[in-house]
Amino acid sequence: MISSDSALIAAWLGGDEQAAAELVRRHARALAGFLGAAGAPEADVDDLVQETLIRAFRSLASFRGQCQFRTWLLAIGGNALKDSVRRVKSRGGGRVLPLDESLEAGGGSPHEEAVADETERRLAEGLQQLSRLQREVFLLRAQQGMDYDDIAQALGTTPGAARVHYHHAVKRLKELVQ
Amino acid sequence: MNLNDRDDLDDARLREIAQRLGARAAEQLDVERTAAGVLERLRKEPARRRVPLWVPIAAAIVLLLGGAELWRATHRPEPVVAAAGYDLKTLSADQLRDLLQVIDQPFDVDSVTAEDTGLDDLTPAELRTLLATLEG
Repeated sequence: MISSDSALIAAWLGGDEQAAAELVRRHARALAGFLGAAGAPEADVDDLVQETLIRAFRSLASFRGQCQFRTWLLAIGGNALKDSVRRVKSRGGGRVLPLDESLEAGGGSPHEEAVADETERRLAEGLQQLSRLQREVFLLRAQQGMDYDDIAQALGTTPGAARVHYHHAVKRLKELVQ
Repeated sequence: MNLNDRDDLDDARLREIAQRLGARAAEQLDVERTAAGVLERLRKEPARRRVPLWVPIAAAIVLLLGGAELWRATHRPEPVVAAAGYDLKTLSADQLRDLLQVIDQPFDVDSVTAEDTGLDDLTPAELRTLLATLEG
């Protein structure tokens, strides 16, 4: 029997560790994809995924089902990424590589070179030029397929504002990609 | 996927690229290792229980009241009249004048009655001393 996210959350809050493990299995890859597209260096994605999940599990009691669990989780991931960038900047050493550079840094194999094609690079560059809110709205919508109500709830805005952010992001990205 | 507003996603190409952007990071993630790591950290660093809002408010009120009481206890005004045995050097000029006036008043010997000095009240030693005095 496949449990819903809500049932797993309730089980975890009741002390069932396996429920937490199942939630990780369900959502960790989507979270990694979101973080990777949002600009997290590949080397940091694993840590950021764990950090995001820890934060989420610790604040699950405050999750009221106002949006999908995954959308809520990805929004927490955006915060974790932002904090990571801030920490790197405050240390003065290193920096979070924009996605296009991280692709280059990890590149070399034919597969990686094929993935990192010119259009993808431009989109990655374009995403880094967007505001954080525009970038997250775009990725939640275009990459994760979330609806505006869900996105708005997760990011603390209105569905109308989320729609506007998405349109601005698409317009800007099309200019850069085409 | 929940795509209720497909009209906004007219650019399938853009969407496809967006989905591909994080694909490698997603593929490379070891989900089981991540799950084990998360559970281990949750066990090591148990969640801080969410404290109801009234608890910090009540704690703040208790601290404020306690602090105020402590302040009052340690900042009581000094008594104006010096206590017995008080060092004369610490008395003000007015206080010294008051004290001298009390001392200057003559002692009213006549006011002492026999009842105040009855022989019955004297100890044997005092009686012996008195007799020796009378004998000259």
